[in-house]
Amino acid sequence: MNNKTTRTFSAAALALALGSALTVAALPAQAAGDMEKCFGVALKGQNDCAAGAGTTCAGTSKTDYQGDAWKLVPKGTCDKTASHTSSTGFGQLAAFTAKS
Amino acid sequence: MRLQEAFSAAVLDSQQPCPRGLVSRNGHVESRFAVYRNNVQKGLINALAFSYPVVARLVGEYFFQEMARLFIKKSPPDSPIMSTYGVRFADFIGDFEPARSLPYLADTARLERLCVAAYHAADAWAVDPQVLARMLKVPESLGQLHLQLHPGVATLDSPYAVADLWAAHQNEELSQGLDLSLPQSTVVLRYGLSVEVFAVRPGYTAFIRHLQSGHALGPAAEHALHVDPYFDLSQALALLITHDAITDLSPAPEISP
Amino acid sequence: MMHSSTASLIAPRISQLPPRAGLGLKAEHFKDVLESLPDVGFFEVHAENYMVAGGPFHHYLGLIRERYPLSIHGVGLSIGSDTPLNIEHLQRLQTLLARYRPRVFSEHLAWSSHGPHFLNDLLPLRYDLSTLQRVCAHIDQVQNTLQRQILLENPATYVEFDQTHFDEASFIHEVITRSGCGLLLDVNNVYVSCVNHDRDPLAYINALPLHAVGELHLAGFAEDIDQSGQRLLIDSHGAPVDQAVWALYQQVLECVGPVATLIERDNQLPVFSELLAQAELADCYLLTTRERT
Repeated sequence: MNNKTTRTFSAAALALALGSALTVAALPAQAAGDMEKCFGVALKGQNDCAAGAGTTCAGTSKTDYQGDAWKLVPKGTCDKTASHTSSTGFGQLAAFTAKS
Repeated sequence: MRLQEAFSAAVLDSQQPCPRGLVSRNGHVESRFAVYRNNVQKGLINALAFSYPVVARLVGEYFFQEMARLFIKKSPPDSPIMSTYGVRFADFIGDFEPARSLPYLADTARLERLCVAAYHAADAWAVDPQVLARMLKVPESLGQLHLQLHPGVATLDSPYAVADLWAAHQNEELSQGLDLSLPQSTVVLRYGLSVEVFAVRPGYTAFIRHLQSGHALGPAAEHALHVDPYFDLSQALALLITHDAITDLSPAPEISP
Repeated sequence: MMHSSTASLIAPRISQLPPRAGLGLKAEHFKDVLESLPDVGFFEVHAENYMVAGGPFHHYLGLIRERYPLSIHGVGLSIGSDTPLNIEHLQRLQTLLARYRPRVFSEHLAWSSHGPHFLNDLLPLRYDLSTLQRVCAHIDQVQNTLQRQILLENPATYVEFDQTHFDEASFIHEVITRSGCGLLLDVNNVYVSCVNHDRDPLAYINALPLHAVGELHLAGFAEDIDQSGQRLLIDSHGAPVDQAVWALYQQVLECVGPVATLIERDNQLPVFSELLAQAELADCYLLTTRERT
């Protein structure tokens, strides 16, 4: 048996964790530092009774798929931004918000 | 082949001929039929682009359109509810050879799907923190306590930093300094009317998934600690409580009267 | 379940909506509507956008429903389908209508599903006897399940079929007579189809069962030229209502009197005030008609 599996939470440890979580929750505007990134990504309804945007006859013949998917190359915009100074530390809790 | 069957096949696949039996009094039949073909394909491409805006942005418009077109041909919608279309898109992307150079793309799609699902998830109201506080009076029962989570709560573990990537793309300016090769765990939830995405330690997602599969607080916390030795239960609970994500409590059957 | 014609269930006159201009409600405008509470006769939503469990869509529609008459417009029932109606979808519709109790529910004379696949577009029908029987049977099924009259919308089409037995207006006349449903007369669709098929819009309108009109739709189209050099109009809902359609609308009002009129806009959505201005214009025409009649 793996040693790690024997690690357990005592009743006291669970109570301490829940108690401290409730204390954090009761604080006004808690963890503002972690939660300040807000982004307005609103979802809209996707069912319409109209033609799709950009629907024209001419557009159709131009955009018809020619069966050469292997020639496709993704733009890969994020590759250019990669570096080794990551902000993705395991220690922190980062929050990102998509607002309605 | 019946008319609607032929029509249906021909609108989904541009290689198929225009169905027989169409006429135009004054125009050119094939270019008019093309309007339907374009409406169907463009409409479905738009529906996917709408649910997967970060994927669309990562690969560029042309690539996305052609990838979506192949997906649509393979998996046309099986429901009239377009907000659910593309549940299998992430798996398709994972197998899509031309996208191989962006290995994080499929998980980015998975994260975006979770966001749409959280947005439309059923409404549920948070338990009063005082009810939680009352449980502290019987600490020996805490281990057996079952926490019901909000239907919008979802998790994703990825070998790539897709939460950071997603966040960077919510903004017009791409942030510098993303290292996508780091693994990242993500919690998605709906708080009020907003969908929120959290990059978290892997213990959080293990904890949440265990709660969701019906385990009590004690075993879920132990499982999370097993997955991640630095798992902080109090922070994980604070995340859930402060975002109204715990919607019901039930003690385990053995301690019920 | 007992299968009977719903014609007897139905009150002869049709619209429960006020004879005013209404707007298609878009999620982008939820907050504009609630903050400004504009003087609009009604709002209309697409049923399928609200077939979600919870979240902002239901939150906002619930609030707006408390303040305005509501019309629900289905885009996914596929009444013209040559395969059976999707029962699950019909039940979802029943649940949605029970929740929001709209004044009007409407659907399209078109098909959009084939077997298990939903194609997300309103596709054209061959107007023959078997289509007529199928469409009427489907409308019967819908009206019986929903226990209400529905309005059926005339389509915008780009092709026609050989071996038809009816022109479109007489087909609609037959459907409405046999099934007892009402007519949602989309004036833009009339214009678009008549240009595309070189027909006279007024003759088309006069061949319709105008006594059954319960609602009117106005929208904008896109214009193209097909490969034979002919004008091809596309029902895009992506532009303001065209002058020619406004003119036709006034002629329609003279025939049917003041009837609830929706301004539809789904693509290239402008600021809310621009849609309001279109609704105000429609209201002016409605008022003039009311004074005259």
